[in-house]
Amino acid sequence: MGEGIGEGGPLVRGTMGIVIILALLLASLPIIMTYSTLVMTSFANTIVSSPWVKFRFTLENWRLFLEGKLAPTAGIVYTPEDILRFILNTGIVAGGVTLVVLAASVTSAYAFSRMNFFMRSGMMKLLILLHAFPGVALIVGVYAIYVFLNNYIPRDYSIYYSFIFVIIARASLEIPMAIWILKGFFDRVPWELEWATIVDGGSRLTALRTAVLPLVKPGIAAVAIFAFLAGWEDLIYVLVFLPPQEKTLATYIESQLGSGSLETTYLPVVAAAGTLYLIPTIIFFVVTQRLLLETMSGGLKG
Amino acid sequence: MVEVRLEGVTKRFGRVTAVNSVNLVFGDGEFTALLGPSGSGKSTILYLVAGIYKPSEGRIYFGDRDVTDLMPNERNIGLVFQNYALYPHMTVYDNIAFPLKLRRTPPEVIRDKVLEVAKFLHISELLDRYPAQLSGGQQQRVALARALVKEPEVLLLDEPLSNLDALLRIKIRSELKRIQKELGVTAIYVTHDQSEALAMADKVVVINRGVIQQEAPPDTIYNEPRNVFVASFIGSPPSNIFPATMDYTEEPCINLPGGTRHCVEEEYAGVLWRMKPSKVIVGFRPEHAEIVENPVDGRPVIVGEVYTVEPLGRENIVTVASEDIHLKVITPPEVRPEAGELVYVAVERGKLMLFDPQTEINLKYIAREWSQGG
Repeated sequence: MGEGIGEGGPLVRGTMGIVIILALLLASLPIIMTYSTLVMTSFANTIVSSPWVKFRFTLENWRLFLEGKLAPTAGIVYTPEDILRFILNTGIVAGGVTLVVLAASVTSAYAFSRMNFFMRSGMMKLLILLHAFPGVALIVGVYAIYVFLNNYIPRDYSIYYSFIFVIIARASLEIPMAIWILKGFFDRVPWELEWATIVDGGSRLTALRTAVLPLVKPGIAAVAIFAFLAGWEDLIYVLVFLPPQEKTLATYIESQLGSGSLETTYLPVVAAAGTLYLIPTIIFFVVTQRLLLETMSGGLKG
Repeated sequence: MVEVRLEGVTKRFGRVTAVNSVNLVFGDGEFTALLGPSGSGKSTILYLVAGIYKPSEGRIYFGDRDVTDLMPNERNIGLVFQNYALYPHMTVYDNIAFPLKLRRTPPEVIRDKVLEVAKFLHISELLDRYPAQLSGGQQQRVALARALVKEPEVLLLDEPLSNLDALLRIKIRSELKRIQKELGVTAIYVTHDQSEALAMADKVVVINRGVIQQEAPPDTIYNEPRNVFVASFIGSPPSNIFPATMDYTEEPCINLPGGTRHCVEEEYAGVLWRMKPSKVIVGFRPEHAEIVENPVDGRPVIVGEVYTVEPLGRENIVTVASEDIHLKVITPPEVRPEAGELVYVAVERGKLMLFDPQTEINLKYIAREWSQGG
């Protein structure tokens, strides 16, 4: 009695498992195919365009890529690009966006969750509205601010200004959603934990640091991942606000595939760039997935 | 230790008045239970004493010290929350040590104190574990240890047993009382469970809708409820309460449901003669009545029909319908009438309670106030 599908014997469960795995495989096959083609091409002597292409393993593409020799067929007049610099730039933008988003969203999400102030729920709704605006739509306005502020920046510092501006502008697109996500996490931390700290002699800030933040770690991890990837993947803001010689991996790959350059670009090298571009995403997920799944609810009942 | 005094304390949350001009004294070293249904304001009073809430009006004193405007950490209190509020990411040891760390106590002293309180509460072997690895009862002890390690003057407990299973609750409740007496700490205990309040407290304060209904030792609360609310809230099953008309032809007599009459005892007669209400509210406890075959001996008797019988092993709860009133009576296991049977419910002499229909106050208390006021 009571043996439904969900709680069935090992046989039923086994069959269901196979069906589920097959369904998942089918759904993710296009994605898996594309990515594996990309990764394989970066290690092959030719473009891997189908599973039946015979290819030889080589690191030549990676060497060319890291030396910045994107168009080996273009001849001797060709100047190699400073790839390491591009990687560093990507890291600066992504890391900066992460820091700005975390600093702004952790503090404001805590305030939204715990404090009562004028227009609190109205502002929460406004945040969702803000998130709905695509970054591209805002770019004219953001550009106007960029130009306006640029008048006050000494020429020598304009490169720093560009980076800081890109980081803050890109971060501010991520902050509304980050606040929403984190508020949800803060809401689940019971008031009593903070009260306990305050009764025990801590200030509100101590309570936030010692009692609340450790419990919203998974939320902070999630927000950090999203912010990092937003910075890492950003194309349009970097393209518009960084000077043309300061590329990131995204704008660099774009420039190789963009109009005019496709003729001279050797695509396996671009595949190497694409593969490198993927790595942080993968690392970040692997490192933080334990944190993301971690639930710390012990010691709290009711 | 210290006495806690509330003088005219009111707490409003927006338009809602959670606590309405309460005057209360929690005696030095006494165990006081704040008893009331959920939303009655009992926890609010506790958090006012803790300093987590600020009163909208009134003052709070610890002995001679006015603590109304002091922060919780300046009041020297220990607080045990309903959900224990242990820090999930700290070990038991760190949880207990935390209040001392915040006070910048030297590490050796912290160690000694934590070990001492852990030994006192029999949790020494749990110090390396995390709260999630503990049972409910163990978590409860850790929470208590964290409150006691500061050596507080006032121990505040917010329904600390409500998350435990029934057996453990009875075990811990006697232990908690022993600990409180041993330390001599002033304890305030919030609960909605009357048996906890009656079993543990030196004094029980019954609260409803932010107003104190009665403030007395457990015996008095049980035997002489001050008003209809207390009578109907205390007891399991609660008191039978029903309205009845009065008849003053010779002496004050109550027309009981089912057509019988009962002329009141002397302690009520005087006040009834003076007030001459045309109606009263009558109450009696299910355990103070029995089911009899012949109404004799001058006990108050109500005629009715058996509605249901609930056998509980040690006793039965018999519900008797008389007119449109349902009365519950606790009977010995062998008394098990059939549903539909016509029976007499006889109430023990002197156990009938009468309340003023307007104010719902026990007429006994009105009589007492008159004799005191002259």
